[in-house]
This record gives sequence, structure tokens and C-alpha cells, in this order.
Amino acid sequence: MVRAALTPPRRIGQGPWRLARYVPAVTVVFASLLAVLPIVSTSGWYPDFGYLVFLSWRLLRADPWPAWWAAPLGFVNDLFTAYPIGFSIALWSATMLALDLIDRRTMWRDYWIEWVVAAVLIAIDEWLQWRLAEAAAGPLPFSHMVPPLIVSICVFPAFAWAISRVDAWRLGR
Amino acid sequence: MATARPGWSRRAQYGLFFSFLAVIAGIIVGLISLILSLVAPQTFQTVRGAALDVTGPITSSLHEIIETAEGVFTGAGNYWDAARQNADLKRQNKAMLRRMLEARAIFQENLQLKATLQLRQHERSTIAVGRIVGSSFDSPRRFAILSVGSSDGVRIGMPVRSPDGMVGRIIGAGALASRVLLVSDKANIVPARLLRNGIPVLAQGRGDGTVDVRPLEVGRNPFKPGDIIVSSGTGGLYPPSVPVARVVKLQGDDAIALPLADPATVSFAIVEPPYEPAAMDTGPATPEGY
Repeated sequence: MVRAALTPPRRIGQGPWRLARYVPAVTVVFASLLAVLPIVSTSGWYPDFGYLVFLSWRLLRADPWPAWWAAPLGFVNDLFTAYPIGFSIALWSATMLALDLIDRRTMWRDYWIEWVVAAVLIAIDEWLQWRLAEAAAGPLPFSHMVPPLIVSICVFPAFAWAISRVDAWRLGR
Repeated sequence: MATARPGWSRRAQYGLFFSFLAVIAGIIVGLISLILSLVAPQTFQTVRGAALDVTGPITSSLHEIIETAEGVFTGAGNYWDAARQNADLKRQNKAMLRRMLEARAIFQENLQLKATLQLRQHERSTIAVGRIVGSSFDSPRRFAILSVGSSDGVRIGMPVRSPDGMVGRIIGAGALASRVLLVSDKANIVPARLLRNGIPVLAQGRGDGTVDVRPLEVGRNPFKPGDIIVSSGTGGLYPPSVPVARVVKLQGDDAIALPLADPATVSFAIVEPPYEPAAMDTGPATPEGY
């Protein structure tokens, strides 16, 4: 009651943006397209931008997009980031499923729990990439994957914050 | 598909069930295409090429912009201390000229020796010259994006070098851009030799920007920090006598080396035809990236 009284009155005519439903998916595609940036990395320590934005949306809302959109979004990510085609399709669909199951089990959520869930999923992502690289190229020490893993986990809160801002903007709040 | 039970509405319950099925189908489709792209990487070559054609030109133009901006700053920086730099450069130039004369004499001598031995001289030709404009970001694999594609004559399997040294080989080509498997990728094995004493070695990438070099013969570790590794031309894909890497650290029987052509800083990358064209027909032994 007090909080509602403290917030400024909403202006008339302010509300969800007309194409608000498509904004989450478009931001994920844009994050995948960050791969076109002219950065030449010799170590590969950059995070998987598409997956971070995907996770941020899904942890913020239960239904940022219809569940089956995960597959086409993953396909776009695979195309632009040079992952083997099918990797992000399967991983992102499985993520939707896993997070639905987690949503049923958890009694309460806070920032720390969301960060831990995201960290576990990012670790699974990096581990799968390592297994795939091994399958395609030959044995690699997992120690190569630790720096990008730490970088991804550390930047996740920044992505989650940015996505919450985008969400507020698209809903006209 | 957020809640366990969306109320008594039959329609909502069916909607939930079908979205669940759709996600399962997504996982299955993903797994099948993943297996396909690992087992038969050529399956998605056209789609990947099309994606490269969409992103390649964007990356190239962004690269140009950044390079221009950098050029303005470093250009301004060069005016500081110009007199001393000029003197230094003149002195270096003189030394270089002397070395060049020596090299020319050696070249002449080489030609004569080759003529007496009746060795076949390989034509060094260039297919296309491009720039390295991007790379894989988050992956244990090391790919780079090159700003020339199959419309310039680039084909899968061709070696790529730069003035500094070996860069890698083409593993995917769109019409306007292509993807290079860098020397530092795990799947890239370059037959090479030590420049100092000609001992044959194999250079294999380690996936983190460095290269693992190991001698073909077992025995004492032949490497010294600072050794230069040059390609040997064995296998017929990579041309011989192109610098590959510089040894920085010894490790057991092997050595860790840094590629001489740093893809982040090379100005131009030159696509060459395979050294022995027959090597193209059999194809490289390693899988074509993914």
C-alpha cells in the first residue's frame, strides 16, 4: 500500500509497446549477432552472448516466448557463432524444459538462487562445448574452459540487469 | 508452460501439453542435426555459407571503421619524437639493404644449385588476398573469418598465410566471406621442421592461441626457447618454408610455441592453392571443423 502510494502516478496512454511480445526473441537474436563484431580472439574467453541473454529472459519471466521458439533461436545462434548446428537448438530447448521443472520445485526465488541456477546452466554449456570440441578435434584439457566459464558467470548479473531494463521498457513501465 | 496445472480449462491444458511436446521435439531435432554436423559436416555447408555471406560484409565494414579510427590515433602518435625515429629507421634501412644483397646472392646460388639438381620449381601463386575480420568468441575451437569467399576463387582446404607466417586453412566458404581453421586450433596439424637444424616436427594447435610442437623422432628434446618452426610442405597441403611459430617454453618431449602470424594483428591474409593439388582430392585427414 505504502509502496504503491510512493510510486509516481502512471501517465495515461503509457503501456506495453505494440510489438512487446517479440522484443525478447529479437534481443536474443541481436546477442547472437554480436559474433559479427570484428574482434579477433586468440583465446576464446568471450561469453556465449546469445545463451546469456536467453537465460536472463527465461529467469526473469516464465513465458518470454512460446517454449518452442527456443529451437529456432538456437538455430540462429549456431549459424552465426560457428557452433556445430544443432548444439544450441538442443541445449536451449532442454534449458526451457529444465527451468520449468525447477520452477515447479523451488518454493522461493531470490537473486542468489537465480545466479546459482544460471551458473550451473552456463557450466553445462561450457562443458558440452568442451566435449564437442574433443569429439571433433581431439583431447583438450578442461583447464582451457575455466577462464571463459568464470568470465561468463561473472558477467551474467550485468546481462540480467540489462534485460530487466529492456523488459521494463517494452512494457512501458 | 509455466505452472503445473493451468486451471480447469481443457484448452489451456492441451496448450500446455502441446508446448511440452514441441520442446521435446526441439531437443530431438537439435540432437539429430548435432550428430549430422559432427558425422557429416558437409550437410550444412550451404546454410553456413549463406550465414557467412550475411555477416561477413558487416564484420568487414565494422573492421574498416575500427581500423580507420585506430589509424588516426597511431598516426598522430607517430609525430612525437619523429626525428629520433627517422634516424633509427635510416640506420635499420642501411642494415637491411646489406642483408638483402646477401640474400639475393644466396637466391642466385640456390637457383643454380636447383638447376643442377633438376628440382621442379613450384609456382607460388595467389588465389585471393583478404583481411581477417573476426573470429570465434566462446569456443575451444579457433576459427577466423576472412573477407574473401568463393566468388574470389577460395575453395575449402586451401592454405592461408600472411606476410608474417602461416595462418591456417579454409574450412568453410560463402560467396563473400570464408572461415579459416587457425593454426592454433586443435584439429589443425602442420607438418614442419626446425629452422635451426631441419629436424622434422609436427605443430598442432592447443585451442588457446598457442601451438604444441613435437619432434617426429623420439629422443632428446631438440627445442630451445626462441626456435623458429617453418612448414615443411610434407602432406602437400601447406606450402614449405613458411614460418609457423616461435618456441616459448619446453614441456617434456614437446614444446609450446606461439604462432608467428597473430590473427589479431596480421594486415593481410593470402589464400594460396594447395601446394600439391592432389592433396585437395583426397581431402585433409581431420574432420572439416564442425
